[in-house]
Amino acid sequence: MFSNFRQAMAWVHTWFGLVLGFVLMACFFFGSLSVFDREIDRWAIPASRHAAQPMPSFDTLLQPIFQDMQPSKESLDYLRDRVDGPLPARFDTVRSWGAYTTHRDPVLSLFTSYEVPNARDPDDAARGNRTIDPRTGVALPDDRLKIGSQFFYPLHYSLNLSWKDLGYWIVGLAGLTMLAALVSGVVMHRRIFREFFTFRPKKSTQRSVLDLHNMTGVLALPFHFFFAFTGLVIFAGIYFPVTHTQLNPLHELHEKLEAEETGLPHDRAGVAAPLASVDAMAAEAQRRWAARGMAGEVGLLTVSHVGDANGYVSVYRAGTDRIALVGDGIHFKAGTGELLREDPPRTAVDSVNTFLTGLHLQHFRHWLLRWLYVLGGLLGCVCIATGFIFFVEKRKKQHAAAGSQGSRVVDALAVTTVTGMLLAALTILIANRLLPESLPAGWPPRGDLEQYLFWAGWALAMAHAFVRSAPVAQGRPNPAWREQCWAVAAIAVAAVLLNWLTTGDHLARTVFIDTYWPVAGVDLFLLASAALAAGAARRLGRRAAAGVRPAPRAEAAHA
Amino acid sequence: MREAALLAAALAACVAGMGWLALAMETHWTQVRPDAPTRAAVLRLRALGGLGLAAGLALCLRVDHASMAVLVWVMALAGAALAVSLVLTWQPHWLRALAWVVSRP
Amino acid sequence: MTASLASRPRLHAALRVAAAVLGGYAFCWGFIALATSGLFALGMPFHDAEHLGSILGMLLYLAAFLWAFAARRLARVWLVLAGGGALMAGAASLVQRTLL
Repeated sequence: MFSNFRQAMAWVHTWFGLVLGFVLMACFFFGSLSVFDREIDRWAIPASRHAAQPMPSFDTLLQPIFQDMQPSKESLDYLRDRVDGPLPARFDTVRSWGAYTTHRDPVLSLFTSYEVPNARDPDDAARGNRTIDPRTGVALPDDRLKIGSQFFYPLHYSLNLSWKDLGYWIVGLAGLTMLAALVSGVVMHRRIFREFFTFRPKKSTQRSVLDLHNMTGVLALPFHFFFAFTGLVIFAGIYFPVTHTQLNPLHELHEKLEAEETGLPHDRAGVAAPLASVDAMAAEAQRRWAARGMAGEVGLLTVSHVGDANGYVSVYRAGTDRIALVGDGIHFKAGTGELLREDPPRTAVDSVNTFLTGLHLQHFRHWLLRWLYVLGGLLGCVCIATGFIFFVEKRKKQHAAAGSQGSRVVDALAVTTVTGMLLAALTILIANRLLPESLPAGWPPRGDLEQYLFWAGWALAMAHAFVRSAPVAQGRPNPAWREQCWAVAAIAVAAVLLNWLTTGDHLARTVFIDTYWPVAGVDLFLLASAALAAGAARRLGRRAAAGVRPAPRAEAAHA
Repeated sequence: MREAALLAAALAACVAGMGWLALAMETHWTQVRPDAPTRAAVLRLRALGGLGLAAGLALCLRVDHASMAVLVWVMALAGAALAVSLVLTWQPHWLRALAWVVSRP
Repeated sequence: MTASLASRPRLHAALRVAAAVLGGYAFCWGFIALATSGLFALGMPFHDAEHLGSILGMLLYLAAFLWAFAARRLARVWLVLAGGGALMAGAASLVQRTLL
């Protein structure tokens, strides 16, 4: 099909990059926002704007809450078709309780899972969750959407499209495409070392856009490669569910062997038993970590086979000071508190795996590294955006001469995915501040409305991009770029003002008087984005007025 | 506070290292100085560049656990290279001090 | 076959893409299955075998994907990727049977 290797790579880079690039923009942008997802949650849920807390007392605070919890409505809806018979009014056989906290979270997440009587698949479980204030045990209202950790974050790995896991598969293909685009890009880039530091904005649009594309791709190449690669590794179980299908018998065999080896029972005994003091077990775990020279906080607490003689409590160390995730689990018999098992040091393969996944999932405490990650992610966005722009610039004159609409369509889609995506993100923040605290009965939950408005905002931006794109079919720039940049600037400033008006937390307060960096950080980031967008819009406006070919729009491509 | 200072020093070392490596290329040297670089100057620039980057790594290792420090360093290299590229594009004379270390004009 | 494909570039491109995405997938499935069962049979802890198989498998997918476009003859690509994948998957099931 191709006369040489370089040509083949150029074809793959161009066409896979173009088609999957639209998905990759969302992955990189919302991935960048996800670095500070919990801080965005604080901005979106003013009631949670207080300092992070360590894991509270299980015995006095958490246990009564766990005993009160039941499966969520979503879980029950999912299970209704998967059981032979009605669902019980109350789920009493508890498989597990879990409490998870991070150094960035002032709220505590609680998870529960329950046996489902009459289930067709014995592995099915009913699941419940609740978010509480760890100082008091009071739950956050259910309809408060955590815009960072429950919307932007899942958006970047699943496009929030959970029907048959379709979103996961699309993102997976996009991830593979990213790797292919990086390798093929290196093959295509003849002067990769000579042009390492080269950016010539004063040259023709095509040349300067290509320079920027190469620069943002090459300088952060290890970052781009590792994030796409580790993303695929993290979801390898979804993409290649080998051990749950073809090798399932082997997996079951291993589970039995492992239960015997570790002493952690796989199944319930069927005999009731009380729960000893979990606080004492957590304290003992901390003592043992300190004795090993790795003192730490409790990050994750789980109780398995709740209420049963085979029940056990697992205490895991929060992974704040190293790349590898929460780990170093210590397990105790639930009924008596006696030590069952201390997880042994990791094997070589396990260390590599947890390093790779930990690198991506970022449980560590390191503010500089997090901001450097955001920088890398935004460079990725610029790389993809400049890729689209280069594609259009290279072809629009020929397409105009031939009467083709190809460049016009790609350009309109590019506006949608670059500035349009920014507008969608800003829309949900505005909606979050403007929607009333409690909605009239019969209306969808507040969190759902915010999501609808996000998608509506994006659709509107797309419509605008297409309607304004006629000049591209004549070989001229699309005015929608400039117009959406102005919209981004205006709405970003509006978001900061709305935060002030609706919560009283203006920047002078969150930076100086009553310092609260999560909210101040989001506000400052919004203002910086507004400044960049306004600058880009002015530049585009001047070029359009002068009739000169516009400067690279890449400044507008990130916020 | 000490950590912040060490990390700032690490970033500075990486920027200096990248700056020297950039100046070792004739196209960029001539953006900063009118004369062409001598062979000796180029070698010295490459050596200094390598030293700067290595110093950056060493400083990162003073602050964090090895697995984390390496990541911080790799990301800092990307940031430093970006900074040097942008400086070369818009204010190349800012790198005059780095060139001066290798050869007086 | 090659002569008719040369005159139908769109079909050829579609078949290449299919080979890269689907053939690549089959090849990697086979590899991951064989690596998991094989390494486990050789004494590696089960989850380690699974994870190592996946890590190497993803890199292999990238290689297979690019090779599908770079290789001269499309027929060979399908043979190696789909055929190789099937062979490895078959071998994995054999290993599983001996272990159970």
